[in-house]
Amino acid sequence: MTGTTIAIRIAESIPAVPAVPMADVVEATSHWWAGFILWCPLISLVLCGLCAAFRVKSKLPAWITVLSLACSFTFTVILGNLEDVPERINLFEWIAVFWSDGSFVANFALYIDSLTILWMSFVTGLGTLIALYASEYMEPDLGKGYARFFAGVSVFLFAMGCLVMGDNLLMLYLGWEGVGFASYWLIGYYYRRPEAVAAAKKAFIVNRIGDLGLALAIYLIWATFGTIQYNELMTLLDEGTYATVYEHWSVEAIPYLLMLAAFGKSAQLPLYIWLPDAMEGPTPVSALIHAATMVTAGIYLIARMYPFFLLEPTSLHVVAWVGGLTALLAATIGMAQYDIKRIFAYSTVSQLGFMFLGLGVLTTYGASYHVFTHAFFKAVLFLTAGAVMHGFAGQLDLRKLSGLRRMKGWRIVAWTMFVGCICLAGFPFTSGYFSKDAILAEAFVTQGPGFEILGWIAIFTAFLTAYYTFRVWCRVCAGPVHFEPGDELHDDDHHDDGHDEGHGFHPHAPRFAINFVLVVIAAGALLASVPYFMTNEVSDIKGGWIADMVNDSTAASGIPGHAEHPGTIAHDHSGDHGHHHGSILGMDPHVAMYYISGVVGGVGLFLAFWLHLWRRQDADRLRSWLLARAWIRWLPVAMENKWYVDEVYHALVRAPLWLLGHIFHGFDRYIIDGLLVDGTARLPRLVAKWFQPLQNGMLQSYAITMAGGAALIALLMILMMQFFEGGGVQ
Amino acid sequence: MMSWLLILLPLVGVLGIIAAPARLAKVTALLTTLVVFGVSIAAAVGFGGWGNGTMGLTGSFQWLTNYGIEIQVGADSVSLVLVLLTTFLMPLAVLGSFSSVKDRLREYYGWLLGLQAAMIGVFLARDLVLFYVCFEFTLVPMFFLIAIYGSTNRARASVKFMIYTFTGSLITLAAFLWLAWSASQAADGQWTFAIADLTRHATTSLAASEQAWLLLALLIGFGVKVPIFPVHTWLPLAHTEAPTAGSVILAGVLLKLGTYGLYRFMLPMCPEAVVEWAPVIAILAIIGIIYAALICWIQTDVKKLVAYSSVSHLGFCILGLFALNPMGLEGSILYMVNHGLSTGALFFLIGMMYERFHTRDMRAIGGLAGRMPIWACFMVFFVLASVGLPGLNGFVSEFLCLIAVFTAGEGGAYPGVLGPWYAAIAALGMIFAAMYLLIMVGKIVFGPERLPAGNHDDGPLPKDLGVREIVVLVPLAVLCLVLGVQPWIIIDGTSAAVADTLAVYQPLLEQASQQTGSAVSNALAGGAP
Amino acid sequence: MTLQLAVTFSQLSLSHYLVMSSVLFVIGLVGFLTRRNLIVMFLCTELMFQAAAIAFVAFGRYWYDFTGQVFVIFILTVAAAEAALALALVVLLYRRRSTLNADEWMELSE
Repeated sequence: MTGTTIAIRIAESIPAVPAVPMADVVEATSHWWAGFILWCPLISLVLCGLCAAFRVKSKLPAWITVLSLACSFTFTVILGNLEDVPERINLFEWIAVFWSDGSFVANFALYIDSLTILWMSFVTGLGTLIALYASEYMEPDLGKGYARFFAGVSVFLFAMGCLVMGDNLLMLYLGWEGVGFASYWLIGYYYRRPEAVAAAKKAFIVNRIGDLGLALAIYLIWATFGTIQYNELMTLLDEGTYATVYEHWSVEAIPYLLMLAAFGKSAQLPLYIWLPDAMEGPTPVSALIHAATMVTAGIYLIARMYPFFLLEPTSLHVVAWVGGLTALLAATIGMAQYDIKRIFAYSTVSQLGFMFLGLGVLTTYGASYHVFTHAFFKAVLFLTAGAVMHGFAGQLDLRKLSGLRRMKGWRIVAWTMFVGCICLAGFPFTSGYFSKDAILAEAFVTQGPGFEILGWIAIFTAFLTAYYTFRVWCRVCAGPVHFEPGDELHDDDHHDDGHDEGHGFHPHAPRFAINFVLVVIAAGALLASVPYFMTNEVSDIKGGWIADMVNDSTAASGIPGHAEHPGTIAHDHSGDHGHHHGSILGMDPHVAMYYISGVVGGVGLFLAFWLHLWRRQDADRLRSWLLARAWIRWLPVAMENKWYVDEVYHALVRAPLWLLGHIFHGFDRYIIDGLLVDGTARLPRLVAKWFQPLQNGMLQSYAITMAGGAALIALLMILMMQFFEGGGVQ
Repeated sequence: MMSWLLILLPLVGVLGIIAAPARLAKVTALLTTLVVFGVSIAAAVGFGGWGNGTMGLTGSFQWLTNYGIEIQVGADSVSLVLVLLTTFLMPLAVLGSFSSVKDRLREYYGWLLGLQAAMIGVFLARDLVLFYVCFEFTLVPMFFLIAIYGSTNRARASVKFMIYTFTGSLITLAAFLWLAWSASQAADGQWTFAIADLTRHATTSLAASEQAWLLLALLIGFGVKVPIFPVHTWLPLAHTEAPTAGSVILAGVLLKLGTYGLYRFMLPMCPEAVVEWAPVIAILAIIGIIYAALICWIQTDVKKLVAYSSVSHLGFCILGLFALNPMGLEGSILYMVNHGLSTGALFFLIGMMYERFHTRDMRAIGGLAGRMPIWACFMVFFVLASVGLPGLNGFVSEFLCLIAVFTAGEGGAYPGVLGPWYAAIAALGMIFAAMYLLIMVGKIVFGPERLPAGNHDDGPLPKDLGVREIVVLVPLAVLCLVLGVQPWIIIDGTSAAVADTLAVYQPLLEQASQQTGSAVSNALAGGAP
Repeated sequence: MTLQLAVTFSQLSLSHYLVMSSVLFVIGLVGFLTRRNLIVMFLCTELMFQAAAIAFVAFGRYWYDFTGQVFVIFILTVAAAEAALALALVVLLYRRRSTLNADEWMELSE
């Protein structure tokens, strides 16, 4: 059976499903207000734009943004608690092409299920808080920059809303590119700095590579299924229609294309290179977009499209391995960096790797839960780093800061950072502990190629995580008080306080807005462990309502009623723990993991305290010892140079394309234009050169030529006539 | 009546300019273009062909009846969309040249108006004679606009533009004449030049090989105009040297004459040959997309960069046409409009920059965001529209073209002769577009400020955009946004016309995909393993 | 003698007229090519015109087709108009350089 016939058959089975069932539209209009989750940030964008246009010099843009995001959050919470939320809420028609026997429809509509609500709740919630934080953080830029910043945040929230709440893949694509653009906008916020501009560009372009995957996936899904709306897709898959598709090549290709998209947006190998550079943006942006929300879009995408992945088991193996390896690689790079934000950036890449590992080993719940907890604690970490940067004139080098917790006004920062660190390190009974364990344990439970090795890699990574996290805290917040200011003295510091750079520098401690936000989000990070203990309504697995929410959505890690299909993954999760379990050291992995990761985290933490608090000189000694040994020297050097990935990219992608560009340019200029076009155009000129002498300006020579020409023609005619007549006679 | 008005009003405006003193030339031109725009809006509102594929605004005028030459005008929805694009861009082009053109004003505005009449004539023509006359007449005003008001290398650029495109169209003319002759042979010496009659003749009585020759001749003429890959080299030169308004009109409308020609003549007239040769044309378009994008990437001249980007972008438009399904054609029509808006706006912006700093070299100038924030905002906006950011216009058309190509063929849901591989490779253009356009923005808009040395000693530094310039840009921006969010305005209006065009392809394509394609498409088709 | 002459006259065939015409034409042509005086050259072109006109009349008579005669009248009219124009030009040229030599004007050379 060829691909075409299958595809046509599927397409034929679909026209019965009109793209927009009329009943649906009518019903959907009843919840039109849900659209305000998206419209609020949009309104805020317009108002911020007006503020910029009218040169508002106050904090008005910040308050507008905070207020509108808070409204979005409220609407999200209300929507989440409604009893009878329609699955789809149609807002307006976007792209719709109808023809005689088919249609392509992508409406601007919302798809509401528990996964949507889960994601939107922390996106809008954290968005509100971080906007509040930024209202103080961005103070030095009051005026045009301030409005520009908050407009960017609004764009981001709008796009993220479209991404998460969209009812079809094209809405997702809209959000997908939209967040990429918002990220471009905000990374390049300090547009005079070449590094910021380059980082913004890099982020957008690398993301575009991922977007290409998403675009192709959308084409392919439409070509195969004839629809790109989630509800119709899921129905088709659920009904078992996929059984006919199963051997179609597209089923194998779709997950890989989606994966490319997810890896681009969520910074996984080999497309993670943009995320560390993205730290050129203002810190609230790093916290919101490049740690808490946008980068988790890839996990969202895979969770949303999970049924496609379940149809192609190998793809999940790839996801798991890429996630695990990224986690390890990024952790090793993070260990060797000195810039606090960069460390946190690599830690984000690493944690995202954990989440993909979770998706790959069939625990969408674990991955989503880790997304949720990670959003809080990583936001705290970035925000504290931002507070430090803000207070110490851009200083982010952890060798040049020390003893923050003993300084006046910096206690809240120091201790909220501590909260973030223990969560990230997975210290027992913190939120990170539970969410990470859900993933780690599952790596040993689920069967797959080398998943056990992967599990051990992940455990090792967890150890590294604990180490490098506390390396930061011990260096920056503990120890003797000591600091050197950075080189970014704001202009207002200069003029108002009148002191020179470096001399008599007073770090300005964060004020109310920053402290308040830090405390709230830190509390959130701690409380994020609560859902784990909450009772379950749907199933009896651990994980409380987050597990319920995930299992209640398209991300449920099993297609009900089709688990016996020969192609689906042999797995034993999603609720019942009755059969086949992997084991670690002879124990139930879920139990064992509590001990193992607790111990591992403790060891890492101890190591960090030893090397970076109690005996800091040992760290330097270790480094110089390593550097002095030829056989091991490459390791720290490679780690500090980020494994030369950027350089490899340059050599493998950028340089060849650049060369190709120049070759094409030369080809265009000299071969196509020079030789073919101009060469052809030169022919008449060459011919003209021969006859040019005739054009001598002498009237009578013209006349002779003319007479001669006429005579010649006459002669020719006579000859021809004779020739033809002669021919006719004979 | 409306059609005659649309064609003749600009010419009346030319008379007005000749009659009025030179200082009133620009006002006269602006008023004329505004009136024409108003008339076109009125025509569009009263137009009965939206969504049902019929002709409207028809009219005819007996000329050389012995030879079947009757001047016929009329519009279907696709024509009217392009007429609206033309009449919309013209007032902006006029307004945009107020400050850049300082002498020989009457000629300048006169030529612009003449150009407008010709362009509208092309879109409204319903017989080949009027079409061809207008099609060629667009060259004359453009030639003078480039040759008189262009920059340093203008003489060469204008001559090349003229001769190159003229040579191409002559071959098309030959094809038209042959077609009319062949139709007259079939109709016992009864000559006709009406497009509808000739189309009927071509589809019903031409052999496949004859259609192939017709296709080739049409492809040469219209392909040069679009331009398609190997015959594109006149475009960067002409664009670079043309005055701002010239570039805007060139990119906005004149290039669309080529794609419109393909849509209006090639698709309906030689369906069998199109099915046979679509893969070849698609491959040329894809080469153009990638090739021009990479050339853009290493450009230092901003205007040249945008010019090459047109070559790359119009590749998508061509692909959409030859996907031969409704999405592709809709995407392609949208692409014609969207490219006109966003690239036109980019040329305006570059012109505004050039007016202030007298350079287009990205190495010499940069970081203008601080000095010219409004300009920078618009620049980023239109670059994003051009890159194809969803929510703006460029995305819709690009997406429709690509998904159409993807599904048109093996592995796709609808019969066609292209396939997934065509779309996958063409989609690389999306990445490249982001690369070159963002590099351009990164250099001239962002980064540390760099101004060309030594040209401001004589006066104060240039200011940000004035009200007039903002007025030029805002309508474009608004339309970019509206068409990005509500593209149904065009899609629904033109769907019936598109369906009519495609009606003849349904059986051909099904046949082609059942017989595993023709020799050509078989050799080239990618798709399912 | 008169009879003889009359007979001879009626025996004039088409070729006589054509010979006459070509002789006239060659005289004009040679004159045009050899003389430098603008007015003489112009008169020579007139001679060539008349040569053509004779040929037309002759053919018209020969075929009993009056188109030839119509053309002659046409040629005469054009020649008159053209003579006016050309002489005016010659006068203008003379005023510029005070000479009638055609070789004085060679601006068209490449």
